[in-house]
Amino acid sequence: MPVRTIDVRERVMEMNDRLAAEVRRRLRAHGVPALNLMSSPGSGKTLLLERTLAALAGDVRIAVVVGDLQTDNDAARLARHTDDLVQAVVTGGACHLDARQILAALDAIDLARTDLLVIENVGNLVCPASWDLGEDARVVLFATTEGEDKPSKYPKMFRLAHYVVMSKIDLLPYLPFDVERAVALARGVNPALEFFRTSALTGEGMDAWLDFVRGFARRAAAPAGARERVAAGPSPAPEVGISARSATP
Amino acid sequence: MHELSVALEICRIVEAHVPADRLGDVVEVAVEVGADAGIEPASLEFCLEALLSLPPFGRARSVLTRLPGDVLRVAHLELEEPDVASRTEVRRAG
Repeated sequence: MPVRTIDVRERVMEMNDRLAAEVRRRLRAHGVPALNLMSSPGSGKTLLLERTLAALAGDVRIAVVVGDLQTDNDAARLARHTDDLVQAVVTGGACHLDARQILAALDAIDLARTDLLVIENVGNLVCPASWDLGEDARVVLFATTEGEDKPSKYPKMFRLAHYVVMSKIDLLPYLPFDVERAVALARGVNPALEFFRTSALTGEGMDAWLDFVRGFARRAAAPAGARERVAAGPSPAPEVGISARSATP
Repeated sequence: MHELSVALEICRIVEAHVPADRLGDVVEVAVEVGADAGIEPASLEFCLEALLSLPPFGRARSVLTRLPGDVLRVAHLELEEPDVASRTEVRRAG
């Protein structure tokens, strides 16, 4: 039988990217910037967020969308620290959040009363890197309990990130983790990366992180042109409001 | 790890380009997979094989082409067309 060729040339992520653009449009209409927090499981995303919500309560109104394969345990932990909405997305086994889930979550969030949206992605250094969620910046947690060569092993995650939070630094005296090597390997993948060094447990380094979050949320009030630069990633010349640049190790 | 999600999206794209009553005639789905696309080709092939063997498909096989970069797209489809000439012959014979 004759065979007909149908030219398609459609990107597999086309639909997700269209939905991510819609997320971005809705957030910008309300001046709400968004951070996408990613890492491998157990590197401390939820604890960092718990401490962040507690410290910035009454200062920055942060809505959270948190994804997990199963259970809403993390959402319940986070909800104890904020009066703002914490939306749990149970992916039912899927290894990442996608833009459709974020768009659905936005329906429940009062964006007029929100200064910042933080998305806590599913713990995984592979898949979340491929899904645009409509965020303005990507933050990767990199725990000192992981190997220094994580950026070399998972280059896409670090290449597309804007900020790295090196977490659990209180454990450094007990671990063979070489901070300088880890930073060099990450910058080898993405020279523009900016670093924070934190221990959410002891509070070390948290001030720089909290200043960054405050500044990032307030950037939403900047003129549209400046906000475009936020979406494009960190600019070489820091703008007012981002005081955490000094956190670079 | 997310190859099944990607395979489902590829099937959605196929369904968008072929009328519903012709999906069983799709014989090839050509996909371009970049080395930096975060996709394990063998795993994607396995997922596509499973999905394309089920209705509304049934006869399609996937053909993956590995490329540099982070491209991930459906390049083209092959659709088997009814053989008009042989049908005519059958009618004459009847």
